[in-house]
Amino acid sequence: MRLGYDERSAALLVAPVLGVLLVVAAFPIVYSFWVSLHDIVLTRPLRRPFVGFDNYLRIFDDARFWTAVSRTTVYTLVCVVATTLLAVLVALLLNEVFPGQRLLSALLLVPWATPSVVNGLMWKWIYDPTYGLLNGLLVQVGLLERYRVWLSDPDITLLLIANAAIWKQMPLAALLMIVTMKAIPEDLYRAARVDGANVWQRFVHVTLPALRPGLMLVLVYETMISIRHFDLFLIMTQGGPGDASLTLSWLIYVETFRSLRFGTGAAMSYILAITTFALSWAVIRFLGKRI
Amino acid sequence: MNRPLAPRVTRALLLTVFSALFVLYVAGPVAWLVSSSLQTEAQITEVPPNWLPPTPSIANFEAIFAASERVVTYENRRQGEALTSNFLPSGAANLLPAMRNSLVVGAWVAALNLLLSVTAAYAIAVIDFRGRRATLYVALATRVVPDIALVVPLFLVIRNLGLINSLGALVVTYLAITVPFTIFILISYFEGIPRDLYRAARIDGCGHGRALWHVYLPLSLPALVASLTFAFLTSWNEFVFALVLTQNVAAQTLPIIISGFIMDFTTSFSFVNAAGVIAIIPPVLMAVVFQRYIVSGLTAGAVKG
Repeated sequence: MRLGYDERSAALLVAPVLGVLLVVAAFPIVYSFWVSLHDIVLTRPLRRPFVGFDNYLRIFDDARFWTAVSRTTVYTLVCVVATTLLAVLVALLLNEVFPGQRLLSALLLVPWATPSVVNGLMWKWIYDPTYGLLNGLLVQVGLLERYRVWLSDPDITLLLIANAAIWKQMPLAALLMIVTMKAIPEDLYRAARVDGANVWQRFVHVTLPALRPGLMLVLVYETMISIRHFDLFLIMTQGGPGDASLTLSWLIYVETFRSLRFGTGAAMSYILAITTFALSWAVIRFLGKRI
Repeated sequence: MNRPLAPRVTRALLLTVFSALFVLYVAGPVAWLVSSSLQTEAQITEVPPNWLPPTPSIANFEAIFAASERVVTYENRRQGEALTSNFLPSGAANLLPAMRNSLVVGAWVAALNLLLSVTAAYAIAVIDFRGRRATLYVALATRVVPDIALVVPLFLVIRNLGLINSLGALVVTYLAITVPFTIFILISYFEGIPRDLYRAARIDGCGHGRALWHVYLPLSLPALVASLTFAFLTSWNEFVFALVLTQNVAAQTLPIIISGFIMDFTTSFSFVNAAGVIAIIPPVLMAVVFQRYIVSGLTAGAVKG
């Protein structure tokens, strides 16, 4: 009878969550696949023929798609690598005990709590070619001779958006690294000191190996998050200039809500979802053993 | 331990330099946003920029709070006769209603998220039933799918249900975002609570409801506060779903209205900056006030790897 009570309670306690996830996550995922097999264009609502995998084939023939794939790859790589490196640096700083350390730790939460729309508007304002902080600062310091455009320069626009994204997502990564660092036993450092290891050697041989679980989590999480970024692109560049910041998320949005081609939009979404899934899995499987 | 002077000076110097760089990077952009919001349009469009407001004024904020009393027409916009003699966007009056929507949705999401997640996390962490791991993995797997991929089918579903423009649809959607992560956090917290306490409670005749209420909840305050904060912030900041699932002022949230200002290039910079500052204040305050809980709560599951 005990077992029965346990199972009944568990079912009762878990059911609401499963209900919500079924309606708002699982069903849309399945429904999306069904949509992706049909030629649904919202401007012609009554005509929605089943086309099998034609939408997918059409996407693979679409030059815009491959542009978006390469932009997304560059953007995600920059975001993940820079966020992780910066997070380790910040964690090394905040893991020290010094006056003001608590204040800095509180400041760290500010970017984390900033809404991404405000983050986008803030950096867009900083990058503003005539009134922005960046031009003003660089020219006053003498690093730049005269004002230049930033976001409208196709060579760097992706990096500038990435910078805004990194600013916002670095804190959580840094928090995870700090927690991982705090768990390293002090004895290891003492032993390394006795062996005559200097600061750098202690970092490489004691800190770095112990950071593995934290690093794993950060890498997977940042990849999953960065690959889907959308808000900043809508606010800052709308995919432009030209197609310089045309990422997959932005392309899906344009295809679906501007061109109203829901079929191909859903197919693209599926490709992005499967890629994200595969990537996270691969990072866990392969990097998990090597770092 | 009394170490020689030279290394200690080097350490102090390094810490000072890196602390300064850190503050500049983390707080600099926000400080500039705040500084711009306290300047008039004429002042923020000076070249080179004014680092600090020459004559700090809250006129931009007054304009926002008075926006509903003013009728914005093409005529008075052309004359530039807004309160600050700046251009106010035509949707300026929507800002406060949007803020109310954001607060309502955020409060509901925070409360329901906690209720759903606590019960599910307790079941998965404590009760030994078939499929407990599978439940967790299924929940987490739904979060691997990018939002932009979910938004299309969700839009179709909610449109067919006639729930576009309802705050309720937003709340339920946001729960799907916050619940999996919250469950994950709470499980690692619950699993850290000694099993003996649970056994003792059960021997004393407590059912699962009372064991959860009297044993687990009082011991996991940090995780509960972190969950509340996390859910509210996620809801307050969310953009993609709100953009697609709401189409008029009745249900639009703050990020949607603000993005509208940004797109409207006749809007004065000072007004947009002030709106940004208003949107930043509640989440940042919440994060800083609950800092201690957030750090221990959000990172509870991390160390185990």
